[in-house]
Amino acid sequence: MVSERWLQIPVGMRDLLPDDTARVRAVSERIVRQMARWGYREVTTPTLEYLDVLVRGEGAETADRLFKLIDRRGEVLALRPEMTTPVARLVATRLGGEPLPVRLAYAGQVFRGGESGPGRLREFPQVGGELIGSGTLEADAEIVALAVNSLAAAGVAQFSVSLGHVGFLRGILAGLRLAEPEEATVRALLYQKDFVGLRPLLERHGASPKSIDALLALPALRGPDALVQARRLVDTPEGRDVVRDLTELRDMLDAYGVGDAVTVDLSIIRDFEYYTGIVFEGHTTALGVPLLGGGRYDRLLERFGTPSPATGFAVRVERVLAAGGPREETWAPDVVMAFADGSRAAALACARDLRAQALIVTVEVLGRPWDDVAREALARGAGRAVLVRRDSAVVRNADGEEREVALADLRALARSGGSPP
Amino acid sequence: MTPVTIAVPSGRLMEGAMAALETAGYLSAEVWRSTRRLLLPGVDGRVRCLIAKPADLLTYVEHGAADLGITGKDMLLEHSSDVYELVDLGFGFCRGVLAVPAGAADGWEKKSPLRVATKYPRITERYFRSRGRPVEIIAMNGTVELAPQVGLADAIVDLVMTGRTLRENSLVEAAELFRSTARLVVNRVSLRSRAEAVAEVVERMRAAAARGAAPSSA
Repeated sequence: MVSERWLQIPVGMRDLLPDDTARVRAVSERIVRQMARWGYREVTTPTLEYLDVLVRGEGAETADRLFKLIDRRGEVLALRPEMTTPVARLVATRLGGEPLPVRLAYAGQVFRGGESGPGRLREFPQVGGELIGSGTLEADAEIVALAVNSLAAAGVAQFSVSLGHVGFLRGILAGLRLAEPEEATVRALLYQKDFVGLRPLLERHGASPKSIDALLALPALRGPDALVQARRLVDTPEGRDVVRDLTELRDMLDAYGVGDAVTVDLSIIRDFEYYTGIVFEGHTTALGVPLLGGGRYDRLLERFGTPSPATGFAVRVERVLAAGGPREETWAPDVVMAFADGSRAAALACARDLRAQALIVTVEVLGRPWDDVAREALARGAGRAVLVRRDSAVVRNADGEEREVALADLRALARSGGSPP
Repeated sequence: MTPVTIAVPSGRLMEGAMAALETAGYLSAEVWRSTRRLLLPGVDGRVRCLIAKPADLLTYVEHGAADLGITGKDMLLEHSSDVYELVDLGFGFCRGVLAVPAGAADGWEKKSPLRVATKYPRITERYFRSRGRPVEIIAMNGTVELAPQVGLADAIVDLVMTGRTLRENSLVEAAELFRSTARLVVNRVSLRSRAEAVAEVVERMRAAAARGAAPSSA
């Protein structure tokens, strides 16, 4: 009911309670820290960008999927749907003089205003990295290895990265020698992953049986034999280049020590207008959607005035958590403190000292009797309940045992790093 | 090894789907006919079947709750889910048509905007947009054929098999929008992370379809 809007949040959005918020933050931080060790420095871009910027980066059709708004001057703005385009804009406008390559990381919320549906979040956190200024296989290998290390750092127990190349599919399509309108219909079916409709369509367009077989073999083209099979199926210059590049990449990834986590997979289909080289996805068997996606996108930066090769990836943090990351322990304070009449200053001084030693301390503000405070706190997992009196403190532990200690001893114990007795 | 999960549609395509799974050696007829359970174990424990409403089936497969699914092409055209469509299973043939009341067979094209009742709002909208014709779509969940009679719509877009429903409601076919048969679809992660198990299911279902052993629904 509209009248109860104040109790609701918009479709596709969600609140995160303390445990989940802590988990999201922990995963993001682990990934950003891992990237920092590889030289990727975090940048920040605005949540709101001009619509023109986002459309320039990703094409006119993107506009349909964005949350758009109009500001007071009539400018159309939109909430960013991803961070690669904003980072490209940032690099083009502010980092033009930097020595190449530029290694950047980011962590932020992104927004997709398209259809909401079961399990479709319209706002979610992404963490990613971009390696800008190098068109070499060396750079591709680094970014894929970093992606593998990022998932490991995030605590995903079992995962695999599938590595493909848009050049392979483009090579097959070029080999068909179709006019653009016909090739567009073939591409449309490929983007939809409709391998049933492909055969009759290709036959109608007069494609050779060999090309038809090559395209229909695509969904199965993965694994150690994939490159061998690919070589047999696609004997065009572009196809041969791809096979050679992926073979070399595989060796480089072995040198990075991530060879076992990466599988060559030529069935990966991603937008050819955007990606220009390798494309890859990370996934885990526990989840039906990918955890991360990325690839080479050499044509993006020239749209912002500074042509530059680039490659990168983004991790869907909420999916990493859905896959069952490490469970943090149930939260509870280390010390729950109350004070007797006249002992407020002494108690707060103790609390300050304990907190300075990185202990979690809460002080009773409801005015309840100490026995009640202590019983409830310990039952809910607090480390100790402490009642501060003028010169001494009573300390009770989870077993109900009580001791009296001098205040000085209580604060000293914390300073030495041990928990209170 | 967790079993591969195949989502099977209840309703119109269920018989054909179960027959195909039986021919492929995954299900025994007694199992599925004798129980009202929605989660059925397969013959050798490597596969299990999840019975789902057609409207929900693609959601199960897209999210990975099922590794594969059997669904009509009509659903795929309507929902553009991110799944791999790999096999035409050959059964469940029907056509998606635009139908108008018999009396309006000549004049319907002049109506603007045309009010069309349908379970396929997206397919219908695409069809009329590609012809540059304004249309007002009334999305419904069932008994679409009644809409013109009660004044809710000028025309309908609905599935046709024998044509009996149209005839009984004094509707005539004005155009064909699509053709549909049952398809085998696969979740994009399962295709990769359970490659061998999934590939085997795909091949056995492909062979079952080729043997033509799956009967087409009446």
